Amino acid sequence: MISACSKAASFTRHLQFIVAFTIACCLPGIVPAHAAAGDLSPDVKNCLECHGQEKFEKPMADGETLSLHIPGRAFAASVHNPIGCAGCHSGIDLKKHPQPSKKKITVRENSIAMAKVCKECHDDKFKQYEGSIHAHLLRDGNDAAPLCSDCHSPHAVRPNTTAAPMTEVSCRQCHAGIYKVYADSVHGQARSKPGGKAAPLCPDCHKAHEVKAAASGDQIKDACLTCHSDALAAHKSWLPNADRHFEAVSCPACHAPAAKRRVNLRLYNSVALERVAERQGVPQFESRARSADSKGLGLDALALQSLLKEFNREGAESKTILRGRLEVTSGPEAHQLTEKDKAIKECDTCHHEGAAAFQTVTISIASPDGRAVHYGAQKEVLSAPTSVESIGGFYAIGATRIKLLDILFVLALMAGIGVPIGHMTLKWVFRKYRQKVEAELKATAAAKPEGLTASAGDASDSNSPKQ
Amino acid sequence: MNQMHKLYVHPLPVRIWHWTNAVSFILMILTGVQIRYIGMVNFMPFKTAIELHNLVGFVLIANFFLWFGFYLFSDKIKVYHPELSPMKHFRDSFRQMMFYGYGIFRGQPNPHHVSVYHKFNPMQSMTYQIIMLLLVPIQFYTGVLLWDVELFETGVNLFGGVRVVDTVHVLLFIFFSAFIFIHPYLASLGHTPTAHFKAMFTGYEEIEDEPAGL
Repeated sequence: MISACSKAASFTRHLQFIVAFTIACCLPGIVPAHAAAGDLSPDVKNCLECHGQEKFEKPMADGETLSLHIPGRAFAASVHNPIGCAGCHSGIDLKKHPQPSKKKITVRENSIAMAKVCKECHDDKFKQYEGSIHAHLLRDGNDAAPLCSDCHSPHAVRPNTTAAPMTEVSCRQCHAGIYKVYADSVHGQARSKPGGKAAPLCPDCHKAHEVKAAASGDQIKDACLTCHSDALAAHKSWLPNADRHFEAVSCPACHAPAAKRRVNLRLYNSVALERVAERQGVPQFESRARSADSKGLGLDALALQSLLKEFNREGAESKTILRGRLEVTSGPEAHQLTEKDKAIKECDTCHHEGAAAFQTVTISIASPDGRAVHYGAQKEVLSAPTSVESIGGFYAIGATRIKLLDILFVLALMAGIGVPIGHMTLKWVFRKYRQKVEAELKATAAAKPEGLTASAGDASDSNSPKQ
Repeated sequence: MNQMHKLYVHPLPVRIWHWTNAVSFILMILTGVQIRYIGMVNFMPFKTAIELHNLVGFVLIANFFLWFGFYLFSDKIKVYHPELSPMKHFRDSFRQMMFYGYGIFRGQPNPHHVSVYHKFNPMQSMTYQIIMLLLVPIQFYTGVLLWDVELFETGVNLFGGVRVVDTVHVLLFIFFSAFIFIHPYLASLGHTPTAHFKAMFTGYEEIEDEPAGL
């Protein structure tokens, strides 16, 4: 069976691969007959005498079984054919094979061990994988976190140039729900048509190996703009403040019109210009949020202020602010993308009081693996005067307006109309008294010698009008 | 009836500025109401309201510079500070306020008498200066920031974010909405209710030989 990966064995495997691959790819004139596509080397054929048998398997720990069956035809067509079985399984001593295992391991442990073999040749991809959400999950002990062999059947890896059917994308094994929505989306529909390879499949947006949590940054929006590079210009032709909309509204919020939307107030480091992330092993967000939300009804405006204060306590390395974004509420909804003529284009869908998009509000922080951790907030935080400072960066005209200003507006209108009416009324009430006084003044003026009634205005300039 | 004589107090540039300003302010308030209260009021589409609000906003800014330039480069600037005495200005403003709030009901004469360089009463002069040199520029500035939030991100952040900018913009909108009612009412308190309105079209104020005027 497979030996442990010692440095010497690793070097040998690497060397074997390089030699085999060089011969196979670079020197086609002297390629051994077995290396041609579809041909299997004698050594491989030897192995397949046993491993070509269906239902050839071995018992593993925990009562599991590991299939040892290698479909010869698939292996012959795979990119690994040139390196043969020994390219990866170099630690096997044929004289002692099959060697009984000293200790039974699980299928999963076997896959983890074999992933290290993949790394020998695919180091660049492995490094990308190590920064991915999948690797984070693996390190956290998540048994569902995918390993190399979960996505790439190692004995049937096709060349990159081979267009696999959409249905064979490995992501659907774990993300079946999302795949189903994707398949019905404008992208899935386009991809499934003949010649539809240009339409994106999972890795085109999420990246194959460095896949990050979708909500962790702007990489998904960037992925949209990679193909739809003229999107901003196209939006600017009709959408006021298009740049702002691109910043504060996720693409599916409009392009998945059936999705439920919400406001996500993301804790953001205003110095490093990135989302605030929990430190590994010391989660604080949820406990701080719970502590601020004493009634358990969701954070209100004052609780939000209090939570922000916690993050900006004396000694905090940088200033934490809240950056709001309108987004859809779930992964599957984010894939319900539709044709652009069906996207939301009517401004008043969102820009009116009580719009559905502003009925759900969450505060979020990035977990160490990049996924967002949410805590609910009351929708009133978006229209509370006490939120002006804490969510100063998020505002949707008409929808999240401050109620106090509406009251002031009504009072101002009442004053604007009421003051003239009140003044006129008082003038009418005092009209007789006023007329009497005015008559007395006139009489007094008439009694005075001529010349003293002249205007007391500025005589120096009243006679010299300048135009 | 007292003898009247006409005095040219509103030069053409000022009249053009004034009526452009008046129409534009009304349009800004109406479109502003439509933008802010969409759903409650629906006299024009939201997008049309925004486009009109933006367009008229820039007309107002250009118009402001017409006013500013005219007063800056002509001797008419004296109408705002004919005596160059702030203390007297404050005192006279208070006197004028007392007249509108009390004296006018008792038949007391208007303490202000219009002349070429005294076309505003002190209360008017002070109010207009606060409006034109402080409130209107702030309204323009916040309006321009809101016109393109990303382009003017630095300015927006200096305020504390788009919500703060909007709050300042709306507070001033509230003030101007009230002002737009009170201003014409005060203008109707001339020797006849339409006297000051006519003057703002013709340029000529009719001056009574006895103390009168706004």
